[in-house]
Amino acid sequence: MKQFLTVLKFELNNYFKNKSFMVTTILLAVLMVGIIVVPTFIPGLLGGKESSQSQESSQSGNAEEDSLDTLGFFVNTSEIEDVDTLLAFLPAKWESFADGESLKEAVESGEIEAGFILNSASDVTYVVNNLNIDDRLSQDFTEAFGSYQKQQYLLAKGLSAEEAAEADNVTVNLQPEILGKNSGRNYLYTYVLVFIIYFLILFYGQMIAVSVTTEKSNRAIEILVTSVNSNSLIFGKVLAGAIAGVLQMLLIVGSGFAAYGAFQDAWGGKLDMVFNIPGRVLAAYAVFGTLSYLLYAFIYGALGALVSKTEDISKSSTPITLVYVGSFLVAMLGLTNADSAMVKVASFIPFTSGNAMFIRVSMGSVAAWEIILSGAVLLLSCIVTGVFAAKLFRFGTLHYGNPLKITKALKSVRQQQ
Amino acid sequence: MKLEVRGLRKTFGENEVLHGISFSVESGSALGLLGRNGAGKTTTIRILMDVFKSTGGTVLLDGKPFQPKQYHIGYLPEERGLYPKKTVSEQLIYLGMLRGLSAKEAKEKMRWWLERMGVTEYENRKLETLSKGNQQKVQLAQTLICNPDIIILDEPFSGLDPVNSQILKDVIKEQIRDGKLVIFSSHQMSYVEEFCEDIAILNHGEVVLSGDLREIKREFGRDRLALSSLDESTSDLARRLNDMFSDLLEVEKVKKDRVIIRKKHPDNKNAILSRLLEQDVDLEFFGLYEPSLNDIFVEKAGDEA
Repeated sequence: MKQFLTVLKFELNNYFKNKSFMVTTILLAVLMVGIIVVPTFIPGLLGGKESSQSQESSQSGNAEEDSLDTLGFFVNTSEIEDVDTLLAFLPAKWESFADGESLKEAVESGEIEAGFILNSASDVTYVVNNLNIDDRLSQDFTEAFGSYQKQQYLLAKGLSAEEAAEADNVTVNLQPEILGKNSGRNYLYTYVLVFIIYFLILFYGQMIAVSVTTEKSNRAIEILVTSVNSNSLIFGKVLAGAIAGVLQMLLIVGSGFAAYGAFQDAWGGKLDMVFNIPGRVLAAYAVFGTLSYLLYAFIYGALGALVSKTEDISKSSTPITLVYVGSFLVAMLGLTNADSAMVKVASFIPFTSGNAMFIRVSMGSVAAWEIILSGAVLLLSCIVTGVFAAKLFRFGTLHYGNPLKITKALKSVRQQQ
Repeated sequence: MKLEVRGLRKTFGENEVLHGISFSVESGSALGLLGRNGAGKTTTIRILMDVFKSTGGTVLLDGKPFQPKQYHIGYLPEERGLYPKKTVSEQLIYLGMLRGLSAKEAKEKMRWWLERMGVTEYENRKLETLSKGNQQKVQLAQTLICNPDIIILDEPFSGLDPVNSQILKDVIKEQIRDGKLVIFSSHQMSYVEEFCEDIAILNHGEVVLSGDLREIKREFGRDRLALSSLDESTSDLARRLNDMFSDLLEVEKVKKDRVIIRKKHPDNKNAILSRLLEQDVDLEFFGLYEPSLNDIFVEKAGDEA
């Protein structure tokens, strides 16, 4: 135990005395705080147009006017009789143009944000500089145009303008009653948490493998394996990587939580989807994330011992990286349907259960026994993998030359026993 | 303490590299493990250190199976290496603690050994910034930091200049005087001759010669004489001896400064001397031949040289 703690302390120091590790951690933590804090000091950035519209009753007329888009129009038809009524359906600062060319020039120069050329009662050209993926103007205009047409039709049928407006005013109040979980609401934080583990495993897995291989390549390994039990050595190394990773994540993500806690009001609850995570979900994440992280870390550690040069690590670790990427893809699919059979099966397989069971807890329906069983299987796999990793590590440490294949190494370990 | 290696065998795949190695060594003495490259020295040492498992034979310490982890062993492997990016003090303290020292003890021992090796000024320098010789001294400091009862050194003199070799020789002699059990392998016979009472010469995975070095030398010199003449070259003298002394001796080796002969009868030393005087050979040297360890080594392990 004393040797294990000595190795753990030494390896942790390697991380904490590594300038790039510390600088990256601090920079990311500051960036996280900055992302949350800075927007609150920039007027209008968090509210935007939507917020202005929702608060229109309390806004002064000028403020409302200022927040409206400046749009242009050119009527190139006689089929639209009441253009003012049409434009009233889409509040904006409307500017009239004498022809299509001058409207396009105005859009191009940025004088107006976009423009509409009304070619007929059913044909409109939407002129815009760059069409964004979240462009709503075209849809808003289409709706406005539809409302105008409907109103014109009703007026033609003899209804008054008020009656026509009332006919268009029927709304349905749909109130969802969620018996299970609100996946829509849980999606974002689940996605973020799965992605964090994905990053930790791939990044720290490689770092653990490098730390093992480095001791081989600088030939310190023979002194180490004759001075210390190989279990203490590999467990110390892997757990140091795990602790360093978790601490780094806690510092970065924790900074985000703290900053959001302090500036939650300024955000008006907009980031609750990321930061307002139930304790039960966090607990499942801590257990399944950590165990899954340890499982992969042990494998990366053992793989590090099978090669002699750090440049061979990526080749040696590709299969396990692919396994994990596969597990990540299963998780991504699971985010859209956490109760699918695939996610259920994956939640009991150690290589995939870290993500899959966490997703089921966060977004799906899962019984307590399933969580316990999956956790127990994952824990047992971690221990078995740890012991095997120590044996592979011990076997591989003095093997120099071409990278050893894991199957050959396992066979040799079995023969030695 | 007495360490006994009995019939050690080791197979890698289909290839048996050790075919029953046996030797023994006691506290307060040093055993020189000699052999050409690939003779099996490092494999034997690695089995002693439990880096490899043997496929046959036993290692006993005071008659009981030897478990290296239960003893303080100072081991300097052939594959030298520590942490190039770490400071000298950091790694020495770490390795000292791994071998059972407290942090405080490890720090004290680290300072003591750096001073003994004459590299105190490098305590807080990264290992990679030190010269090869100084890195070797740090390696030796790590070997001895835990005050080991058993010291195993694999080629400890390689890479050291004469001054640093002298420091290492002094340190090893001190350790032997302090009653430590020392095993070391080397190609440099002069060092082995200097402080090893016992040797074991390995060749192709077998011990071809082992035992007390003085006895081995005596045995090798038995029935042999060395002589030289003031007015003849050794080759001329050898020719004359072959022509006119063939009934008494045979020329075994012609060296630059001596002709080595083997007596045909154990008691004819005086007869040979009388004949030499009769033949008016202007003798420069006439005496018992004492072979160097190098001669013995070349004879025993130099089959393919």
